[in-house]
Amino acid sequence: MNEHANSFSNRPVEVEALPDFRDAELNPVVASYLRHKVATTVGFWGLFILVSLAAPFLPFVDFNLSKYPAAIASVIMLLSLLHARLDARHRGWALREHDLIYQSGVIFRKQVILPFARIQHVETLSGPIERYFDLMRVKCFTAGGQSADLVVEGLTTATAGQVRRYLLEQIRDDDAQPGNASHADDHRPAQQDDG
Amino acid sequence: MQMIIARRSKMMADETSSSQPDDDTEQGWYRLAPMALVFLLLSAVQKFVRENLFLFAGAGFGVAVFDFLDAWKLGLLALALFLMGIVGTMIFHRRFRFRIEDDAVRVRQGLIEKKELRVRFARVQTVQIGQPFYFKPFGLVRFTLETPGGQQSEVELPGIPRGLAEDMRDRIIGLQSDSPAVLDPEAADSSDASLADSALAGTSLYQASTWRLFRHGLSSNQIWLLAGLAAWFFGTLSERFGEWADAQGWFVDIDPTAWELLWLFVGGLIVALLGLLLVLSGLLSIVRFHGFRLSDHGDRLVGLGGLLDQREQTVKREKITGLTVKQSGLGRLLGCWHIVVRQTSSAEEEMPGQKKSFIVPGLNDEDLSLTREIVAGWRFPDQFTPIAQRFRRVYWMRFAAFGLIAIGTWLWISGHAIVVGLIPLIGLALILAAVHLRWRHWGWSIDRRELWVRRGFVGQSFDVFDLDRVQQVQIRRSRYQRRHDLANLVLVLPQGLVTVPYLTLGNAAQLANQAIYAAESATLHRV
Repeated sequence: MNEHANSFSNRPVEVEALPDFRDAELNPVVASYLRHKVATTVGFWGLFILVSLAAPFLPFVDFNLSKYPAAIASVIMLLSLLHARLDARHRGWALREHDLIYQSGVIFRKQVILPFARIQHVETLSGPIERYFDLMRVKCFTAGGQSADLVVEGLTTATAGQVRRYLLEQIRDDDAQPGNASHADDHRPAQQDDG
Repeated sequence: MQMIIARRSKMMADETSSSQPDDDTEQGWYRLAPMALVFLLLSAVQKFVRENLFLFAGAGFGVAVFDFLDAWKLGLLALALFLMGIVGTMIFHRRFRFRIEDDAVRVRQGLIEKKELRVRFARVQTVQIGQPFYFKPFGLVRFTLETPGGQQSEVELPGIPRGLAEDMRDRIIGLQSDSPAVLDPEAADSSDASLADSALAGTSLYQASTWRLFRHGLSSNQIWLLAGLAAWFFGTLSERFGEWADAQGWFVDIDPTAWELLWLFVGGLIVALLGLLLVLSGLLSIVRFHGFRLSDHGDRLVGLGGLLDQREQTVKREKITGLTVKQSGLGRLLGCWHIVVRQTSSAEEEMPGQKKSFIVPGLNDEDLSLTREIVAGWRFPDQFTPIAQRFRRVYWMRFAAFGLIAIGTWLWISGHAIVVGLIPLIGLALILAAVHLRWRHWGWSIDRRELWVRRGFVGQSFDVFDLDRVQQVQIRRSRYQRRHDLANLVLVLPQGLVTVPYLTLGNAAQLANQAIYAAESATLHRV
């Protein structure tokens, strides 16, 4: 206790002197992220357009659609492609000593700063199309409800694995510090080696 | 990847497990008292009514059913449902077992699927001991443990001896660390002393008189819930009455001048009904909080109150993640506040059927210093920094432009005289006034690490929390905000999100940096 009291200090902190999250340089998402977005957008809307164009030529079915759905779908597809282009340009992430920064959004830009000390669990996810493009998402769980979970997109499989390993190491180091052990033991899933 | 999931499930299993316990742990399992049946049955009925009331009200389904079935068929259906409820409750009661271990409580329950729940005492953030009036003669109580995991991992033991519940409470809060390893429910004292005696032990911080509780009820949002129910009930009733009266040919012979009288009568009826609802809401608050007393027991806070169901809520101070100090619009007229003690995943508003929040009701303006007593050092700030005026300007411009165009188009198409447009214009003016009110209420104040955020509309609400509780910081900026160097700051806390919109970018970044620093240098880790 005495030792703790001697080592304890509580000097005022200069707010201006605190590290600014805006100074961190963000890593852009990989190029295949845009390719993946384009492929899924074109795949979805292209199929819709194809069906609406091909429907009148189908035998046995009296399915006389006007050209409007195809036209509207084309416009939406073009806008989505534009959105994907801008999205890929503005999306970015960075790891600092104590936190993860993630930026996303086109019209409404969002920057999330997630301290490692608050991450409860880390997961990596990827769908079949993402795997084709060698992409992987990293999902970080925190307290505060589902809306508080952060999903980092636009990483290659290798980078995502590294990021996850790094995050888990940080969490472990955090908990190894004296004073935190009991909390770590209480409330968090155990860490593991990458598997 | 799979390993994570496996290990995570292992952790979860600490709280929820469907596995069967070993044979040697069969000993030490206890059942609920027979009186618990009454409680379980009442809860089941309550749940059934709550879950089906809105279905009946909403979809017109109820009317269809009532038209289809006559009285005795309906009665028979009700009886069948009731009997099914009784049998279900009896099976549930028979299967319910609990066991108290050194550092945890284990509950085995389930009607069809067997579920075993183990909650470690270290995880508990609130202990509730409730005593419905019908438990009192038997010295029984309802014992509830809340954990950050929400309702899924909540332990409820309805109908256990009071002495046992109090021993467990003290053990959980860490008062009797040297108590015997396993408590014995049968040996526990079940004397008839009231819960109030145990709450008296601490220092009293606040007591609410009956008038204050009545006032709390008048100003609480419960009135709107009641009004909604009443509107549905009377709506259906008057519709029925109208149809019936129409069929009798009553309205045909009415003198037109009588309509005015009828409108007056209806107006008077609505006012009277609102008055009645207000009184009812006040009375309900008295029933809910009767004799409310907040006391300080060092590392824990105890709130005690209730008429038909006397409830003692014990909260560990270190598990408090924030406070919400609230005053509704009506509360402003009456000078009435209340404080909600926030914890991980706790709701700001008390919803019917959800778990009860820790509320300190019926406070006057001068009682607001209570925040300092609840959490040391949380002093109500004298001044709040307002958010940027552009918040008001941009919403005024958007609403005005949209409203004027809509009104103009409507007048042009319908060919009405311009004077007619005055009515929607008044509506638009009211919206603009509402924007002003919203803007005026937003504000923040920081004192070292305590951040106060004020917001409101007709009423007002203040959130206070320590920045080291912040889980995540978000800066959100629209195109307009980027052009004008503004930002919305969103702080994710264990109890939910707190937003401060339209800060200058400098202020938002500074607050964000402070919050990140506080969270990263905090000694207290994850919730």
